[in-house]
Amino acid sequence: MILKDFVSLPTRGIWHALFWTFDRGTWQYDLMVIAILAFVWLTPPQWLNDPTASGPGLIGILLESLR
Amino acid sequence: MTFTGAIGTACMFPLRAIIRACVTLRIHPNILTLVGVVINFLAAWQFAQGRFIPAGFIMLVANIFDFIDGKVAEETNLASRFGGFWDSVMDRFSDLSLFIGVMYLYSQLGRTDYVMIAAFAMMFSVMTSYTRARAESMIDKCKVGFMERPERIVLVMIGAFTNRMGAVLWVILILSVVTVLDRIYFTWQVLNSQETNKR
Repeated sequence: MILKDFVSLPTRGIWHALFWTFDRGTWQYDLMVIAILAFVWLTPPQWLNDPTASGPGLIGILLESLR
Repeated sequence: MTFTGAIGTACMFPLRAIIRACVTLRIHPNILTLVGVVINFLAAWQFAQGRFIPAGFIMLVANIFDFIDGKVAEETNLASRFGGFWDSVMDRFSDLSLFIGVMYLYSQLGRTDYVMIAAFAMMFSVMTSYTRARAESMIDKCKVGFMERPERIVLVMIGAFTNRMGAVLWVILILSVVTVLDRIYFTWQVLNSQETNKR
């Protein structure tokens, strides 16, 4: 793989994630779902100033345990 | 099989039984659509009261009706162009009512920031459907963009059940904006290439 491919690979990934043309039931769709669920469940609600969420979330718990 | 595909297949088992029951009872699919909307209004009311778990369960029931109406229409040979139109219009009522419920809750909590996030998420959710409908009046198909109605509904339910509505609204907002832009760009591309071919 040449350098140009290394540079273009993440760019292409970002482009395909933004200009979404994949169907449901593809591995790309699964990957997007995992990314969304990770954001929803792992982000500490305080970071988003969520008015109704309770609990620190997984990242919050990990950060607290590291302190 | 992908994991989202496996979840879909697992969910189809109980749904098939419900579809069969509706076909046997000869329930008109347009009635099923209407019942789905009425139940969604109840879910919106629960959101407005800050009762997320009941709202999630009510949404689940409402969306069963929403999902099976098309299948029942096919199996009873009652599928019609008006049925498609009725379904789309009722879907918008369902979507908007849920957002209004959440916005009412945040306004009661004095959180203007989240009222605005929910309002913009609502605006772009409607625009997601509108851009596709308008595009498909000019071009063959405009099915690009990730954040379509099923994704939105499942996300709101996940937000309700796991008490993470703030994060869910952010995801819906950002991905709906991207989806609307995708559809505008795609339609521009197709129309441009058609015009070029004509010359």
